[in-house]
Amino acid sequence: MNQAADDVAPAGAATARAKARPVRGRPGRPGRRGRRGIDRLDALLCAAVRGVLWLWVAMMVVLTLWVVLSSLKTNGEVFENPFGLPKSPQWRNYSVAWSVSGFGQAAFSSVTVVAAAALLTMALATPAAYVLARVDRRSASRVITYFAIGMGIPAQALVVPFFLMANDLSTFMTDWVTGWWDDRISLALIYIVLSLPFTVYLLTMYFRSLPTEIEEAAAVDGAGPTRTFVAIMLPLARHGLVTALVLNIVALWNETLFVLIVVGDPQQRTLPATLLELYNTMQYTSDWGGLFAGIVILVMPMILLYLWAGRRIVQAMTQGALK
Amino acid sequence: MARTVGGVRGERDRVYVPYLLPALLIYTVLFIAPAAVTVWYSFTKWQGLGTPAHYTGLANYRAMLSNPVFLTSFRNTLILVVVGGAFVFALTFLTMVVVREMRGRAFVRSMLFVPSILSPIAIGTAVGFLLNPDGALNRLLSDVGLHSLTRGWLGPDLIFKCIVAAVVWISTGFYVAILMSRVDAIPEELYETARLAGANRLEQFRYITFPLSRDALSTGAVLWVIGSVKTFEIVIAFTGTAGSPPIQARTAAVEQYLSVTGGVSGTPQLGSAAAIGVVMFLLTAVLVVVLRRLLRSEAVEL
Repeated sequence: MNQAADDVAPAGAATARAKARPVRGRPGRPGRRGRRGIDRLDALLCAAVRGVLWLWVAMMVVLTLWVVLSSLKTNGEVFENPFGLPKSPQWRNYSVAWSVSGFGQAAFSSVTVVAAAALLTMALATPAAYVLARVDRRSASRVITYFAIGMGIPAQALVVPFFLMANDLSTFMTDWVTGWWDDRISLALIYIVLSLPFTVYLLTMYFRSLPTEIEEAAAVDGAGPTRTFVAIMLPLARHGLVTALVLNIVALWNETLFVLIVVGDPQQRTLPATLLELYNTMQYTSDWGGLFAGIVILVMPMILLYLWAGRRIVQAMTQGALK
Repeated sequence: MARTVGGVRGERDRVYVPYLLPALLIYTVLFIAPAAVTVWYSFTKWQGLGTPAHYTGLANYRAMLSNPVFLTSFRNTLILVVVGGAFVFALTFLTMVVVREMRGRAFVRSMLFVPSILSPIAIGTAVGFLLNPDGALNRLLSDVGLHSLTRGWLGPDLIFKCIVAAVVWISTGFYVAILMSRVDAIPEELYETARLAGANRLEQFRYITFPLSRDALSTGAVLWVIGSVKTFEIVIAFTGTAGSPPIQARTAAVEQYLSVTGGVSGTPQLGSAAAIGVVMFLLTAVLVVVLRRLLRSEAVEL
């Protein structure tokens, strides 16, 4: 009975107790009634959860295989034989998707916009994060908080002003400055702005975790602040910089809302928007094999990136989230 | 003059402003200012470029409260956040009970994580196709003799349930990763002691894993709110109709997108779109504050 009373103690008490004594009493004490039943339930539950987890993983593998196989089928086969192997692999689907359905152009847009935005974000955020992490001024911690506020503001709160700014920018540049404008430049600018708060915050935390001795030694040896930053701190922070870069690439590669809102010309849109466009027109074109080829084209770079930097992505996402 | 350690600080002070200013300026002018301007737009009636914006006070907000389409989308968003969240964290906890000492756990964990780095448009398109009336799922069900189970998965009754299920399926791996990274830091001795004392896995979870990963849980819950309130892509991809997804399937974010672009009717309503943006921000803020209150606990140090 005592045991039961302890079990329903408030969570706060359990928390405090966990530190001192992980397990109360002797739950396994022989002779306690119902104990064996609970253990059996525990074993059963665990087996069930494991089963569900493996099923979950199996579903993902099957879904992936199904998408890849469907991308190699004829339109008829996609419907008539959804779970079979393609009779003869239709590699044509990829060339059609690439050239006719615009995935080639879209891949170019995706790569240039994402690369430009991710690199410029790093160029802006890295020096800022370095001084924020290293300078002993009262304003520094306030500025860090000011950047952190941006992480809590959903992008949706910026949709209308960004839509208007992109329009004004395009009109202004076309009428007054260059005579032309590419909405993808506006999109890249928006991506930089959206990525800044998280990147500055993550890098500030990373720079703080680096030792100060080396840069102080460098300064004593006569290196100026810029030289110390470029020659000493950047190589030292390489790991954190790559991580922040990879995280931004993943987020921006999959971004869809602002592409749809800011980029008017379907020819200039990035991969997710092009896939959506193809799906929307499917009732007229019914190029189902090509649709699945498009899915593979969109997803493959991220899978390769995950194979290359997988643990780093997971660690960074979780650390960034927990700090 | 020889530089001292104090001199380093002085040197760094000199680059403080030039290093910080570009990022700070861009962030203020292009992020904080527009966010503030959104609030002003939300008090106007404005059909878009070339037309004048009229100040109308709270009219957009009042109109929202009496617009059944918006109310449906708002209710859907709430359902997704609360019910979807309950499923995500229930599944995460169950996974945490067993995954510590499961065979192939590294593989399982990394596989669960994969969907969170893939485009929701890609996942939504593939799964949406699977669920079509003549889609692969219904075909599979009738092929194995379960014809009675076939149904219009994307019909008005079921579509939002399917969307919630898909979001749960996509997101859970991310929260497993966050919480497990905290669990990994718990010393193995605690579990050994517990095992020697005869504690089963549920008890180990209850007395060790859960209390010691509580701060990560509260962070995870906050991230879930921030992320799920914005749910947009998966709906558009599921329905395959960017111009007008069925009302039953819409979230607040989808409704806002339709207001900006004008949807099928073609008339943008920028004022109400801004108001929806403000409502989504307020919803996020309120939920985050409530969650923080609910999950507040003294930090447990290892």
